[in-house]
Amino acid sequence: MIQRTAWVSALKALPTNNLLSLTTKLSEDWTLRPKSVSQSGLGMMKLKDSAFNETFYLGEFPLAFAWLEVTTPDGHKAEGAAQVMDDRVEVAEALALCDAVLSAQLPGWEQVYNMVEQGVAINEKANRERKMILARTRVDFSLLDNVGDENAEA
Amino acid sequence: MLKLDPIWQPDIQQANFRLLLDAMAYPGRCFTLHTVPKEGHITLSVLATLLDAEVTFSDPYSLLRTDDWPMLQAKSTSADKADYVLCDASQLPKFSPKLGTLPDPERSATLILMVNNLGQGEQTLKLSGPGIKDTESLSIDGLNAEWLAKRNDWVCSFPLGVDMILVDEQHVAALPRTTKVEVE
Repeated sequence: MIQRTAWVSALKALPTNNLLSLTTKLSEDWTLRPKSVSQSGLGMMKLKDSAFNETFYLGEFPLAFAWLEVTTPDGHKAEGAAQVMDDRVEVAEALALCDAVLSAQLPGWEQVYNMVEQGVAINEKANRERKMILARTRVDFSLLDNVGDENAEA
Repeated sequence: MLKLDPIWQPDIQQANFRLLLDAMAYPGRCFTLHTVPKEGHITLSVLATLLDAEVTFSDPYSLLRTDDWPMLQAKSTSADKADYVLCDASQLPKFSPKLGTLPDPERSATLILMVNNLGQGEQTLKLSGPGIKDTESLSIDGLNAEWLAKRNDWVCSFPLGVDMILVDEQHVAALPRTTKVEVE
C-alpha cells in the first residue's frame, strides 16, 4: 500500500476533472460534514537568510485546505483532510474525501487507489526526467584543477 | 461539494458583523440576528462572526460541542487570558477577564453572555452613556445580577474594562465599557 503521505501529491498529478468526477460519483448518497471551514488563499513562504539568519518572505503560493467527515448509508464513518497548493476549495475537498475513502477503505476505495497508483507513476516519471535534466547540467569543477591557472607565473 | 451552515458563509458573517457594530454603537438596543445556526449553540452565529485563528477564546461553562472548536479556529485558553469568553449568564461569574492595559486598552476581553430572553424579562436595566440619547431601557431574562456587580468593578478604570455582548435565541444587544448600567 502506498504511504498516506503520498496520496495527495499522487492524486494532484492527475487531471482535476478525473478526480472531481470520481469523488462526485462516489459521494452521491453519502453524507459529508465539514469538520473545519474549507478555505483557500495565499500562503507565505518564510525562509531564513544564511548570512544573518534573519527571516524573510520568499513569496506567496496558493493554498487550499479541507477537513471533512464522511458517513455512508450503511453507517460507516471516516475523516479525511487535505492541504494542497491550489486555489480551489473544491479540489482540496475532493482530495480530503479521497483521503477518507482510502484511510477507512470505504466502498469504491479501489478506484481511488488505482488513481493514486497512476499519480505515483506520473510523479516518478517527472522525477526521473528532472534528475536527467539535472545530471545534464551538472558542472564538474574538478576539471578546473587539471587546467591550472593560466595567468599564474611560471 | 460540502454544504456549510449559512452562519459560516462570508456574506452572512459580514451582515452579522455590521449588526454587531450597530449593537456596539447603540448600547442596549436589541437587534435581530440575520441567521441562527441549524445545529449547535445559538451563540455560534456571533462567535463565527467574531473569531478566527488570530484570537484566543474560552468556554468556561462548556456551552459548545467539541466539534464546534475546529470550525471556529480560535486558540483555546483560560478565561482570564482569552480575547473572547463565552458565558452562561444565568450562572455566577467564575473568572476575572483581562481588562487591557493603559497603552493597549483594546487588549481586553469581550464577553458573550447567553441569556434566556432579551427585550423582555424580570430584570430591567437603565442605560446611559455614549450612543444613548438620554437613557435606554433593556429588559433581560436570565442574567445573574452578579455579572452586573462584577462589570461595575471591571469597567471602573476607563479606558480599561470589558465589553459585553448579550445573546438570546434570536437577538443580540451590547454593553460596551462606556455604558453606565443601573438596575431599575
